[in-house]
Amino acid sequence: MNPKQLACVLLLLVIGGMTYTAQIIHNKVTTTRTEAQEAEDSATTAEQERETAEIQTTVLKTDTEDVRRFLRGWLPAIERVQTQQEAEQTIELSLRERGINLVRSRKTELKASTNNKIIPKSVLTTLTIEEEYAKVLNWLGDIERRLPTARMKVVQITGGSTGRQLKMDVSFETPIFNLAAADAEKPKAK
Amino acid sequence: MSEYLCHDFKTPRTDTSRRLPSSFRAIPIIFYVALVGSAYVMTMDYFNYKKALTQKTEAEERRKLSESQRDASKAEKAELESEAFKAEKVAEWMEGARNIQPIAVKIARAVQAETRITQVALERSEQVPANLALTIHLNGSKVSSELSAIENALGQLLYRSYSPQQTKNGDVVEYHSTLVRQSE
Repeated sequence: MNPKQLACVLLLLVIGGMTYTAQIIHNKVTTTRTEAQEAEDSATTAEQERETAEIQTTVLKTDTEDVRRFLRGWLPAIERVQTQQEAEQTIELSLRERGINLVRSRKTELKASTNNKIIPKSVLTTLTIEEEYAKVLNWLGDIERRLPTARMKVVQITGGSTGRQLKMDVSFETPIFNLAAADAEKPKAK
Repeated sequence: MSEYLCHDFKTPRTDTSRRLPSSFRAIPIIFYVALVGSAYVMTMDYFNYKKALTQKTEAEERRKLSESQRDASKAEKAELESEAFKAEKVAEWMEGARNIQPIAVKIARAVQAETRITQVALERSEQVPANLALTIHLNGSKVSSELSAIENALGQLLYRSYSPQQTKNGDVVEYHSTLVRQSE
């Protein structure tokens, strides 16, 4: 091989090297551009998901506004009675303040529920009082005001031992709410 | 410079090696074209690479921001759902915990002085706690009109008497009905 031919071969090698390098770099750039495009697409998808989530949240906020306001209104009453002692104290205070002196019988027991996680316990109170008509009914109103979450199960009013008096047998259930358990019981959102 | 020397320089020289074929003369041209082409492509690639990197970085930042906002929205939605669920459970309970005292007072006030109520019993239904079983024992001369007055009075509290029944037991009329609360 003479020097001219050698020079040609060298030039061809240089051309090949340059072309190859340019191709490698071009491929690298193409890959980077593809990645950038993919990042752009995923950013667009994430933005759409964000918009969807924001719309859903706003709609839910509007739809549940009334029911959540209802809960906020009841929370103080729910938090007021969290133990059997608190329920008993409230009944005791109500009887004393309303001047109910004749309590013929009184029984309080704690009822546990395994099915209802939100109301795992409730205080069952059975009471028989005998007093004047106005005092009896006022006491009933007072206990319903003091224990607004209590569910009156039985109220039976009959005549008392004297003509002026009424006898009232009342049985009511005061729930002890455990609202934190609602998260566990809540059905999974789709 | 003398003419002899100039002439001597122009004397043809014999080639030391064989001439290249004519097609090989294109190689330098191809070299220059490849050089210019590669330089152009690599320059353009450099700018495109920089642009793509910037675009990728910006897109990833946007994605992260959107994802964090989306997660925050989802968390807020979950919180709202939880709160609504609690509220529904509380409302479910409270629906069966409406006050009874106003009913007792209404019954007592609806009856005239000459009629005597010997017993009033209100019992909450186990299955539907919002419903109340009402039992009243009365004696007097105008029991039917008194019961009608009681039903009207209870209607003011949005309670409707469902399947009322009356049975007479001597002088005492026993009245039974189920009080169903009407929606407002």
